[in-house]
Amino acid sequence: MKNVRIWFKKDKECRFISHLDLNRVMLRTVYRAKLPIWYTEGFNPHPFITFPLPLSLGFRGEAECMDVRFLDENFDLSTVADIMNPFLPEGIRVYGATESKMKPGDIAFAKFSARLYSDTLSARELKTELCELMLLDECLVPKKTKSGIKDIDVSQYIKLIEIIPDTDDLEITVTLPAGSANNVNIQLLFTAFENYLKSDVYYEITRHGVFDKEMCPFE
Amino acid sequence: MYPKEVEKILLKVQKPGKYTGGELNAVIKDKKDVDLRFAFCFPDTYEVGMSHLGMKILYSQFNSVPYIWCERCFAPWIDMEEQMIKHNIPLYALESGDPLSEFDFIGFTLQYELSYTNVLNMMKLGGVPLLSKDRNELKNIVVAGGACASNPEPIADFIDIFFIGEGEEVDLEVMELFRECRKNGETKEEFLIKAAQIKGVYVPALYETEYNEDGTIKAFIPTKGAPDKIEKRVIMDMDNSFFPESFVVPNVEIVHDRAVSEIFRGCIRGCRFCQAGFMNRPVREKSIDTINEQCYKLCKNTGYDEVSLTSLSSSDYSQIVPLLTKLNEWTDEEKVSLSLPSLRVDGFTDDIMSRIKTVRKSGLTFAPEAGTQRLRDAINKNVREDELLETCATAFNGGWTNIKLYFMTGLPTETDEDLEGIANLGQAVVNTFYRCENRAKGRGVNVTCSASPFIPKPFTPFQWEAQDGIEEIKRKQMVVKSAIKTKKITFNYHDAATTYIEGVFARGDRKLCKVMLKACEKGFHFDGWSDCFSAEKWLELFAECGIDPDFYTTRKRSFDEILPWDFIDYGVNKSFLKSECLKAYESTTTPNCREKCSGCGAAKYGGGVCYEKCKNMV
Ligand code: SF4
Repeated sequence: MKNVRIWFKKDKECRFISHLDLNRVMLRTVYRAKLPIWYTEGFNPHPFITFPLPLSLGFRGEAECMDVRFLDENFDLSTVADIMNPFLPEGIRVYGATESKMKPGDIAFAKFSARLYSDTLSARELKTELCELMLLDECLVPKKTKSGIKDIDVSQYIKLIEIIPDTDDLEITVTLPAGSANNVNIQLLFTAFENYLKSDVYYEITRHGVFDKEMCPFE
Repeated sequence: MYPKEVEKILLKVQKPGKYTGGELNAVIKDKKDVDLRFAFCFPDTYEVGMSHLGMKILYSQFNSVPYIWCERCFAPWIDMEEQMIKHNIPLYALESGDPLSEFDFIGFTLQYELSYTNVLNMMKLGGVPLLSKDRNELKNIVVAGGACASNPEPIADFIDIFFIGEGEEVDLEVMELFRECRKNGETKEEFLIKAAQIKGVYVPALYETEYNEDGTIKAFIPTKGAPDKIEKRVIMDMDNSFFPESFVVPNVEIVHDRAVSEIFRGCIRGCRFCQAGFMNRPVREKSIDTINEQCYKLCKNTGYDEVSLTSLSSSDYSQIVPLLTKLNEWTDEEKVSLSLPSLRVDGFTDDIMSRIKTVRKSGLTFAPEAGTQRLRDAINKNVREDELLETCATAFNGGWTNIKLYFMTGLPTETDEDLEGIANLGQAVVNTFYRCENRAKGRGVNVTCSASPFIPKPFTPFQWEAQDGIEEIKRKQMVVKSAIKTKKITFNYHDAATTYIEGVFARGDRKLCKVMLKACEKGFHFDGWSDCFSAEKWLELFAECGIDPDFYTTRKRSFDEILPWDFIDYGVNKSFLKSECLKAYESTTTPNCREKCSGCGAAKYGGGVCYEKCKNMV
C-alpha cells in the first residue's frame, strides 16, 4: 500500500461548499473514478480519504490536498488528475498526485491572500484604516472555543499583514500559524478590522498553500 | 453560476452551496444559441427540490432539445431571502444567474398545497408579476404541473397554463407552439388560445365560473373554443419514454442523494384515500432490461453508490425478484446498494430482503393506515392483521427492533373504536416481538405509530367526504394517545392546523385566489415548514377575505354537486369513484387490478395492467 496525496484547487462555485460536503464530493469521485484505493471495511465500506488541513467555507484553495492509500503501488500517479477531473464539479480541479512525504502533523503555517472591500469606504480609506489597526498593541476579538466564547488578542497576527501596493481594491497577504497545534483563522483578523471600523467589510480569501515549521512547502 | 452581487451575502447564510449552482452535470448553454429559456422552479428548498425525480426527468429532457435551455430555481431559505431583499437581488436561476423575469417560461412543480405560498413568493422575488392578467407580453409564461395540478383552481389566477397528467410530451408541444407564435409575432392571448387545444393543457383564463348562492359552483364555462373537458396526458410506453442518463449531482447534502429509477407508474391497489393511486391509472411497468440499463448508466454518470427503485408500491412490480436478481449481477461487484421504498406488508419476503442491502436495521416502515380490519376494508387497504404480525415476526427474527407504522385519523366511517385499534395494533406488534425466539437479545422493541389526519383529495372515492376540523383532529389524536398503554410504543402525530389549512386548498375553488394573493402580499412563505407556518395568520386571512374555510373542509358534498375539478379527466370515471365511495360505507373491498378488473375507465388508454392478462394469454 502506498500513501498518496492528491492535490487540487477549490474555486468558483465550489468555494461555497463546506468541508463535510467536499468530503462527500471526493468520496463519490474516487468511487466513481474507480481508483485502486483502500476502502474501509465493515457493513458499509467506503473509500478511505482524509484531509491534512481542511479549508474553511468560502475560501479559495490554490494548493489543497487529500490523502488516500493506493492498493496498487505501481499505479501511475501522473494519470490521477485526468482520471478524476471528468467526475468533479468545475470548481474543483485535481492537478497532481504525489507520494506523501510529510505527516499532516508537520503542518505549521498557511499562506493567504485576501481582497477586501466595503459598501461605505473606498479602497484607499480601507488601506489607511488597516495601517492604523496594525499599529495597535492590543486587538481583542471574541473567539468560539470549547469552553465558550473568549476574547483573544490578535494584534501580533495583524502586524504580519502585508498590503499589496498599487491595486484597485485593498489586497493583502499574510502567513499565519496553522495545523492541529496552533491554528489562527484569518477571518478573526477581519472580524477585528470590522469591529475597529464599526462597519461591514466583505472579503474574498485565498489559501495559497501550507508549510512546515521551516516554511518548506508541505509535500 | 450566481450573480456577482450574491458573493458578498453567501457567507452570511447557512449552506451557501445551495445558491451557487456549478454542480456536476448541470447544463450550461450559451444564451445566444437558444430560442427559449425555461426556469424550472421547485417551490421548496434546494435539498427537497433536488431530490425530486420529476424535476430531474424534465430538466434533462428539455435540455436535450438544442433550442431550449432549462435551468433550475429553488425557494431561498428565509435567511437567504432576507439578504436578497436587503441587497436588492432578484431570485435567479442557478445555471445562468439570471433573474426569473428574464425567462420565457417559468415552470412550477406542485407537490403539496402548502407550497403555493412559495410559488407566489418566488415569482415576487424573481420580479415576475403575480397575476396572469398582469403579464401581457409573450414572455414570463407561468406554467405548472404535478400532483396538485389535479385541482388547479386555488391558484388559477396566477398560472397561465397547467399541464394535466404526465408532462414529458405535452410540455415540449407547448414550447414548440410558443416558439412558432413568437416567430409569427402573435400575442400572449393568441398563444394561450392555441395552447388550450393541445391535449393535457388547461388555460384557466379561458374559463369562467358561476356560483350558486351557497357558494357551490353553478357552471364552469369554457370560452374562446377551449375544451369542456381536459384530458390528462399519459405515457403508455414506459420503455421508450424519456429517462435521463445522468442527474445533476449536488455539491451539498440533499434529502435523497442517490440514483433513482422509477420501476412503474400507477398502483394496482385502489386504496380509496390515495390520490396518486387513482390519478396515475393504469399501472404501466418498465421492463427489467430498461430499468437495469437506466440504473447502470445513472450510477456510472453520477458516482452514486445507491439506487432507489421507486414507485407507489415497489413490491407490486410483477417481476420484482427477477429484477433484483438482474441488478445484483453488477451492483454487488460495483458496491452499489439497492433500496426499495414503499414496501407493502406482504412485500417483505426473504427473497426480496436478501437482495436489498440498504434496509438498515434501524427502520422498517409499514402502512396499515387504519387500526381495525373493518376500517381497513372500508378504505380498501387490503392488509390483514395476521399478515402484518407475521411480517413483523420475520423482521424481529432477522434482528430488527424498530418498526414504524403509519396510520390516518379522520377516515370516512371511522369510530373511536377504530382509533383505539391503532393502539391495539401497536400493542400486538410489541407482543409479537416478545414471542419471537430469534429476536435481538438484550434489546427492547420500539414501535412508532404515526398518525396523520386524513385530507380528502380530488379524484378519489372520498372526494365528497367531510374532513375533520381542528378540534376534532386533536380530540382523535388524544383518543389514540390515551389508548396506548406501553412505553414501547412511540406515538407521533401531525399538527392539526397545518392539515386543516392544507385541506382548504386541496379541494378549494377559484375564490381562494384572492386569499393566496393577500398571503403573498403579507409575506407568507414556507408554509409546509413549522418554522414559518402560523394557523392564526391563516385563519385571520380567511376572515379578512370573507372566506369560510369550513366550506372547503368539514362540509360533506353531495354526489351531484359540481366540484371545482370536475372538468379534468384523469381516466377514472366519476361513477366508479361514487360506487367505490358507496362500497366504503358498506366496508366492502374491491379487488386489485391484477386479481380482477373493476372497470374503472382507465382501460381506455389501451395498455398497462388493464391488458396484462390478454398479453399473457397470447
Ligand atoms: S380498467 Fe381495470 S385493470 Fe385497468 S386500471 Fe381500471 S380497474 Fe385496473
